[in-house]
Amino acid sequence: MDVKHINPFLDSVVNVMPQLGISDIKKGKLTIKDKTINSPGVLINVGIVGDLRGNVIYGTTIESAKGIASTMMMGMPVNELDEMAQSAISELTNMLTANACMGFSEQNINIDISTPTLMYGDFTATASSDKVLCVELKINDLPFEINIAIDRVS
Amino acid sequence: MEKIRVVIVDDSPFSITLLSDMLTESGFEVVGEASSLEETVEVVGKMRPDIVTMDMTMPGTDGFECTRAVHLIDPNIHVIIVSSMMDDEIVGKAKKLHVSGYIQKPADKEELSLLINRIMADEELYKELEEIYYPVFKEGFLNTFNRMTKTIPEFGEESQSNTEQVSRGVSVVMGIIGKYSGRLLFDMSYETADKLSNEVLKRSPKNSQEMINMIGELSNIIAGNSCSVMNKKNKLFGFRVAPPTIFHGSSLTISKAELESMAAAAVETKFGEIYMSIGFQRRSGEWMSNI
Repeated sequence: MDVKHINPFLDSVVNVMPQLGISDIKKGKLTIKDKTINSPGVLINVGIVGDLRGNVIYGTTIESAKGIASTMMMGMPVNELDEMAQSAISELTNMLTANACMGFSEQNINIDISTPTLMYGDFTATASSDKVLCVELKINDLPFEINIAIDRVS
Repeated sequence: MEKIRVVIVDDSPFSITLLSDMLTESGFEVVGEASSLEETVEVVGKMRPDIVTMDMTMPGTDGFECTRAVHLIDPNIHVIIVSSMMDDEIVGKAKKLHVSGYIQKPADKEELSLLINRIMADEELYKELEEIYYPVFKEGFLNTFNRMTKTIPEFGEESQSNTEQVSRGVSVVMGIIGKYSGRLLFDMSYETADKLSNEVLKRSPKNSQEMINMIGELSNIIAGNSCSVMNKKNKLFGFRVAPPTIFHGSSLTISKAELESMAAAAVETKFGEIYMSIGFQRRSGEWMSNI
């Protein structure tokens, strides 16, 4: 875990979200969690290998996932977190992580990312790192968090 | 080896002749040509080529519309845009339409030939992946269980269905990344996870955290060993495994995987049922061009 690993993710939020119609981005608290991440409703896991190894776990509530999906689909109403909405949110996390990858490469850190896996319900995630950095955000006033569980490969 | 079959879509007879000569000289077989949307549909539908070279500007249609038409006929046909126009917007749009590559006119013979050969080599490699990944991961699962628990699990029938899954309680997710991008998932009940960790640790886990860690480690071994086997079979795969994230709770639904190819099975073990799902897709960054 390294605080330097946060900036590429923050930058990616600022770069990617406006392209999808989400322009109101507020940074909230930055906290350090232990291995355990309580799901706010939806968690999306993206694996990372390369100079860094671990996972980035994006979290949001079901309600805000629907809101974000609706914005991404040009304001189409999203009443259920259905396949289409899940796919939109997965694609968002894929774009965010891919963009963060480019940020890392500017620091000469080369990483590759896996396909996102989205889970929803009432559950907990146990991360691969002992310490997880959590960045809380409000996007269009909806809660969205980025849990960074990555370590440098020794 | 069979010749790679190509259809040329272009509205200029001069361009068609030029491209046709180049392709033939490079050892490809030109099996048809088209200069409108209707002709494209007809020729591609009849000839089913491996590759279509696609001009961008044509009267009454464009390369994008024709590309969509080709992929409606068969999504596995590779489209290469060959056009004098070339900017970020066109390239961006082409990528979204799953175009396999882009060459700017005037096309260079070597460049075109290299691009087609690279695309077709990639196609062969992906076919190899599709053939071997499920047996390799199944074997990896069986070997690990055999070594660590001295038991022989029984695999249920392989299923290709890719639908939303309600978790049995504990879900282990591991990203697999290399030439292609994939995901391995194990799902089991708390009871199975507990019995399994009891067996491997030869004692009761101290707490649920230890049990979760144990399941993660076991999954990691299966994934690591299986990927090593894949890489030994063909080093171009270059697979590496991201460490496991373990999801667990009373209500947990796993969304449909965004993977092109996947295989899953319920495995009967001495400790209870474990569901294994493994799948891969071509990477979105897989964009071939020499520019």
